[in-house]
Parts: sequence; structure tokens; C-alpha cells
Amino acid sequence: MNEARFIELLNAYGAELSRWPEEDRVAAEALLEVAPHRLKDIWESERSFDHLLALEKDGPATISLETKVLSLSPNRPGVRRPLQLFGKRRMPQWATGGAIAASLALGFAVGYAGEPASSSVSEADYAKMLTLNGAGAGSIFLTAIDDPES
Amino acid sequence: MDGLALKSGRSFLGVGIPAMRDPDEDLVRRVGVGDKRAASELVRRHLPRMVGLARRMLGDHAEAEDVAQEVFLRVWKHAAAWKPGQAKFETWMHRVAMNLCLDRLRRSGRQGGEVSPETPDIRASATRALDDRQRRDRVREALQELPERQRAALVLCYYQERTNIEAADILGVSVDALESLLSRARRTLKSALSNERADLMSGIETG
Repeated sequence: MNEARFIELLNAYGAELSRWPEEDRVAAEALLEVAPHRLKDIWESERSFDHLLALEKDGPATISLETKVLSLSPNRPGVRRPLQLFGKRRMPQWATGGAIAASLALGFAVGYAGEPASSSVSEADYAKMLTLNGAGAGSIFLTAIDDPES
Repeated sequence: MDGLALKSGRSFLGVGIPAMRDPDEDLVRRVGVGDKRAASELVRRHLPRMVGLARRMLGDHAEAEDVAQEVFLRVWKHAAAWKPGQAKFETWMHRVAMNLCLDRLRRSGRQGGEVSPETPDIRASATRALDDRQRRDRVREALQELPERQRAALVLCYYQERTNIEAADILGVSVDALESLLSRARRTLKSALSNERADLMSGIETG
């Protein structure tokens, strides 16, 4: 590298050699080592100018911008979704409403049909059943049914 | 795909960009399959630089944020189709951001221009001691007055830390042309800041 090329690159890239073309950096450094004061002074002057330009720095991005940008990013397809019994086909609204109404009606009908026509348990026995210490409501009920005295 | 035509690590000069693994490759692949955590990391890594590039090119912070947002919209849109081994992802982002800025500048008729050396308000304050904020503002003003191609070259090489080959690729010019733009930009800036340069320098050296 000769002095003319050194000045040419200095004028373009400034004094920071890391900014120079990779293939010229070693030669530039070697030239600077043995350069006359005149050339070193030019380089120093450009270095000061680089410091001036470096005052124009980047700040961090604002949180609101980060949030906005991220909110637009694509969703993760692996996120667990409710089980789709009918594949990816979407049911029409009337069908969804109908299914809910049907299940409510079925629940009501089953509950009504399951109710005994008349209780064979006397009120006293029923009170006794409620005071039993069983493992739970089911066991109390079964105990009462199996009780030979009832 | 928009901007993704940037060819695989080779400038149009035929100078090969050394083949190295793209540091964003894994993140971009994960973003492509909808990984929010990867998206967040990519945003943290590149958003400030995208805002910085656009702000220096457009001279307006709110507009710069719009551009940065637009760049990321394209990232989200194209991440799934990104093919490693082409241009570095960050270089592609810079190209998209730069093109968006240049489009906005052209649409609005803001082209920048040579700075008049006879700017009276600058001269008047030449002897005044300037704090860092004022100095920074002066540099910003001078940058905004650069012709857009000079400003683009300087922003990419000085502030975005692109190599000369990457910057030339992004701008679609030869490395020689890039060096010419950089030299003219630097000369124009020196001229624009000449009146207060001594003051600025003494402030830096003593402060």
C-alpha cells in the first residue's frame, strides 16, 4: 500500500481501521507504523473527526415499539388448542346452538326420569342416613340401601 | 420475495463474501414456525439498529419507528420462506429498511442537498462551548443535509457497521462507487461542520 492509497481509504472510511476493507487493514497498519509525522497527523485529525461523528449514537428501542412489533409476529402453531372433534370443519352457529340446547334437554330428561316416583325410605331412616360417617355421599347412599333393617 | 434476491454472499463485483454461518439463521427458522420467543430475541437484536438507520436517513423518530415496524412485518411474513446460505439475514433487513427509507424520501421530495458553508446560526455559535447534546444535534443536522446516497453510504458503513461489500450490495453500487460516496459524504460533513469543528474537537479532547 502506498501513501496515496492510504489517504484515499482514510478519506472514505475514516481512521478506524476495522471499517476499512479487510484486505487492506494489515498493510495500512504496517504503513502507519513507519509513516512520517505528516501522515500520522492526518490520520489523527481524521480520528478526531470520527469521534465527532460517533456522538450520533443509537438509543435502545422503546418498549412500546418492541411490544407493537412483537404483537404482529406470527403465532406459534404448536400451542395447544381445545380438542376438535369434528376436525378442522367449523360448525355453523345454528348447529352449535342446537347442540347446546339438545344437551341441556337431555340432561333435564335424564334427571327427571331418574327421580324415584315415591321414596321407600322413611323420613327417620333418611335422617339416620345423613348422620352416618361414610367415605362420601355415594357410600352413605349404598350403606342405606344395603341396610337390612331399612 | 421482496429483497430476498440478494445473492448468496457474492457481491455483483464477483467478490465473494466469506462464507460463514448466519448468526440469525436459527432464530429466523424458529420465527418461521411461529416461535414467539425467537421473534422476541430477533426484535431485541435488530430493532434498535433498524430504528437508528431509518432515523438517520429520514431525520424523524416517529417515521423511523414506522419504517422499523414495516421491516419487521416483512420479516414475520417472509421468515418461513427464508433459505439459509443466501445473503445474511441482517443484510437483507438493512436492504429492506434502506429501500423503505429511500422510497419515503423520494415520495416526500426530501432529497437532502449540499450544505451551504454560510449557515449563519452555526457561525454565530462557533465559539460557544457546546455540550454533548448540542454537538450530537449538529452532527444530526449535518447528516440530514447530506445528499441521500452519500448519507446512505455513511449510515451503512459508519453507524450500521456494514462491511464495504455489504454496504455496496445494499445500495446496488460497486465498492469503488461506495468509496467515492463515502469520501464525498465525509468531505461534505467536514465542510458543514467546519466552523465549529475546532470547538467541537477541543470539547471532545478536553471533556
